[in-house]
Amino acid sequence: MSTPTNQPSPKNWYKWFDPRGRDLGTWAFILNRLTALGLTFYLFLHLIVLGQLAIGPDAYDQFVELLHSPVFIFGELLVVIAGIYHGLNGLRVGLTSFGIAIPYQKQIFIGLLILTIIGSIYFGITMFTA
Amino acid sequence: MIATKSVPKSGEGMWLWLIKIVSGALIILLLGLHFFVNHTGLVSITENGLLTHEGVVQYYANPIVPTIEILFLIFVISHSLIGLRSILLDLKPSRAALNVINWVFTLVGVVAIAYGIWLVFKILSFLPA
Repeated sequence: MSTPTNQPSPKNWYKWFDPRGRDLGTWAFILNRLTALGLTFYLFLHLIVLGQLAIGPDAYDQFVELLHSPVFIFGELLVVIAGIYHGLNGLRVGLTSFGIAIPYQKQIFIGLLILTIIGSIYFGITMFTA
Repeated sequence: MIATKSVPKSGEGMWLWLIKIVSGALIILLLGLHFFVNHTGLVSITENGLLTHEGVVQYYANPIVPTIEILFLIFVISHSLIGLRSILLDLKPSRAALNVINWVFTLVGVVAIAYGIWLVFKILSFLPA
């Protein structure tokens, strides 16, 4: 096996996101990292905007009104999809950290991708038709 | 995917790693609960769910709810900051830079958790006496 030339280094950190010539696990890693960043961003945004609850009924109810726009529903759908993937992949990473199911990592990863896709379709339909 | 053992990340001690793993598992449980209670009719709260200020306040009237929300807040903030720190570790920060990261993240975590707890009590203050 030749060593891939696209290994990340602190100076070329963006090569974290280059899957060429690497294993399926790189995709798991890329998706885990992107969803981690997205969910962290959402978490702090969520905490900040819920500050409207402290201001009072008018502020919060007007804010919720704003969220009915398709742009926000789409954003929330992305959060749900990222949450499903990050949670399922996290279970895989947690298990393998304890030496469990290591030979089946590939199958587990493909299985959790399928579950994420099914979940995305389900929530996509329910959130946009609600 | 090569079948090998997982390798500890340099700069992330056993305890931080363990907190990340355990909080991750607990988040799956609590997020499931948070999500189904907040967004489905499985638990009847108020007519409008949590989409009105009044609905949220009534939901918080049950003492289990603020308790779970505060625990959830602590787990999720810890998990996200330890995770973000582990991403930064891949950039091989110098000892001094890592010190700054540790202090800033600890401060952000403490402020975020304090703010969240304040918010929970602020919501409870809207309950009719």
